[in-house]
Amino acid sequence: MPNARVLRDIKARYGVRANEIARRAYLFVARNETLPPQIRHHAQLQLNTFGRYTRPTTVKNRCRESGKGRGIISEFGLSRFQFRKKALDGELPGVHKASW
Amino acid sequence: MAAFVPPSRLQALKQLQCSIFQTSYNPQSLRTGAKYLRARLRGPSMVSYYPAHFNIPTIIRKYPELEMVDEDEEERLQDVQDRKKRGKGAPKKAKTAADSRRLTKRR
Repeated sequence: MPNARVLRDIKARYGVRANEIARRAYLFVARNETLPPQIRHHAQLQLNTFGRYTRPTTVKNRCRESGKGRGIISEFGLSRFQFRKKALDGELPGVHKASW
Repeated sequence: MAAFVPPSRLQALKQLQCSIFQTSYNPQSLRTGAKYLRARLRGPSMVSYYPAHFNIPTIIRKYPELEMVDEDEEERLQDVQDRKKRGKGAPKKAKTAADSRRLTKRR
């Protein structure tokens, strides 16, 4: 079972996907300087009504294996320790310990 | 020596250029918000970041027509029932502030 932080992150990811198109449309209106200020302001207010788990910045890439939030090697989506463990076990193709 | 070209002529040239090459004419460089429409949608790739995780309750909930039973869960609920019968259940939740004060330990 993934830990609570990972579950929260998964929730945010689904929220982002569900609301992405609507948010983009409002962003387009709000950031468009060719439109009248009143309409832009209204669009900005609408943007503010979206919840916490609809913003893409809420999403954080956590460790796929352990759920850790820090020290993630993004190419593998693993924290540094899980990366080391898996690499030493030979589970990551093409990764081997440097020696010279 | 280059001949003097008035700005209005240059502007007209730019406008014509834009109409020929089908680019947007935006002499004041206003922000149009086009980048929010042009950017790819990030949701689908975000959702597929974590590997799929399965456990027994989710599978049971997914296929209610199969009428599967989670034996561990049944056993746990049975245990809770048995404990309640012996008077070893969880205490009642406090309904009012006075209740919660009575239930907290005094030091």
